[in-house]
Amino acid sequence: MITAVILSGGKGVRMKNVVPKQYLLLAGKPMIMHSIERIDSIPQINEIVIVCEKSFESSLELMMKQYNITTPIRFAPAGATRQESVFSGLQKVSNDLVLLHEAARPFVLKNDFLKLINEKEKNVTFGYEIPFTVVKGKEIILDTLSRDELKNIQLPQKFEVKTLLKAHEMAQKNNEKFTEDASMITTYKLADVKIINGNSYNIKITEPIDFLVGEIIYREIIRGRK
Amino acid sequence: MRVCIMTGAGSGIGRAVAIQLAEQKLYDHIAILGRNLEALNEVCKKMQPMVQTSVWDIDLNSPQKIPQIVEQIHEKCGSIDCLLNIAGYTDPQPLLTTSLENMEMTYNVNVFAPFLLIRETVKYMKKTGGKILNVASTAGMTPRPGWLSYSSSKAAVISMSQTLTEELSEYGIKVYCVSPGRCATKLRQKLAPNEDPTTIMQPEEVAEVICNLISDRENCLDGQNIVIRKQIKPKG
Repeated sequence: MITAVILSGGKGVRMKNVVPKQYLLLAGKPMIMHSIERIDSIPQINEIVIVCEKSFESSLELMMKQYNITTPIRFAPAGATRQESVFSGLQKVSNDLVLLHEAARPFVLKNDFLKLINEKEKNVTFGYEIPFTVVKGKEIILDTLSRDELKNIQLPQKFEVKTLLKAHEMAQKNNEKFTEDASMITTYKLADVKIINGNSYNIKITEPIDFLVGEIIYREIIRGRK
Repeated sequence: MRVCIMTGAGSGIGRAVAIQLAEQKLYDHIAILGRNLEALNEVCKKMQPMVQTSVWDIDLNSPQKIPQIVEQIHEKCGSIDCLLNIAGYTDPQPLLTTSLENMEMTYNVNVFAPFLLIRETVKYMKKTGGKILNVASTAGMTPRPGWLSYSSSKAAVISMSQTLTEELSEYGIKVYCVSPGRCATKLRQKLAPNEDPTTIMQPEEVAEVICNLISDRENCLDGQNIVIRKQIKPKG
């Protein structure tokens, strides 16, 4: 069995809204519920940990009841950084494997979750090809990176809990900051992380325009699929 | 076990649907909600040789019990695959004699009870997919003096069905809406007391359309307001 950890600690600064984006309505329902409903339909997931601000727990509990979410839910307090939030979520996990996801990626299909779960490797991430040129440098270009060697990391990801916890403990000890977990594991050479092909529709809702794009993705990709 | 919940089975279109559902064995268990227990038990007797049935006592004018009943049906049967909102009520009055009570009762039975049944059913159906069918009326599409409460409630049913078609398609739930025209039911007698019921469409004919829509054969007609009308030849 596997635990899904949903990162929902964002404060919505870039959306310029007092309500964090993951609780705003997207295609008629709170963004976070898109992922949770699909996760709830997967029998291999027997536990969901939501990492969020304490003040949102009661609203989330009500939502779980309204949407008849039957997978047991636990809450973990959001940290000051993403890295701290993941670590906080891991403290509540009772399985050996974790599916790490973020509430701001609402367009992951049930089949996408199943692909990760059914991978025999324990540490797996989605990676999507980069369709544009990426350069190194801020004011002037120092180098051009080879697109063929690069991937855009997409959540969800699957990890062995003990490996990921060890990576976090090493990062804390070394006072190193990471914005993503697969790179943390590989930096410390704790395990290989397999990349499987991601999808163009798995966008992260970050700015107001993403809501407009998101409505189209919902209409064209999500509707009509179980 | 394939399970269908329905209202309105005591008479008219609902009764005809219940019997045809049983004859066609579209579902293994039909859970019938209503208050006229004598009529519902009578229709169950006709259905029972072919399917399992259960009767759930509720006055749809007081729909607050619906969540509890739907939960009990799910507990008893293990799934809910189809919901048929067929029960209807009317007390046709011109505006100036339409009481608030008239409006409330009409909306309770025609709009709020279906809304609650859909909401509670979808809590279970969203994991498996299924079909929901709401019976509206051509009265909800064309204005008619004296039918304010009924017509406006049926317009709400049409709009609710269209909205929910969009909202529930993600779960593989198809929402159908049918609007029968003149049909020989007790409700029609209230709306048009001077009409000869033998000259208009019969409940069995509407039931045939409904059973076709909720059968596995149908896959393309959800989301539309399907008008059911029969061209009647004048007598003589």
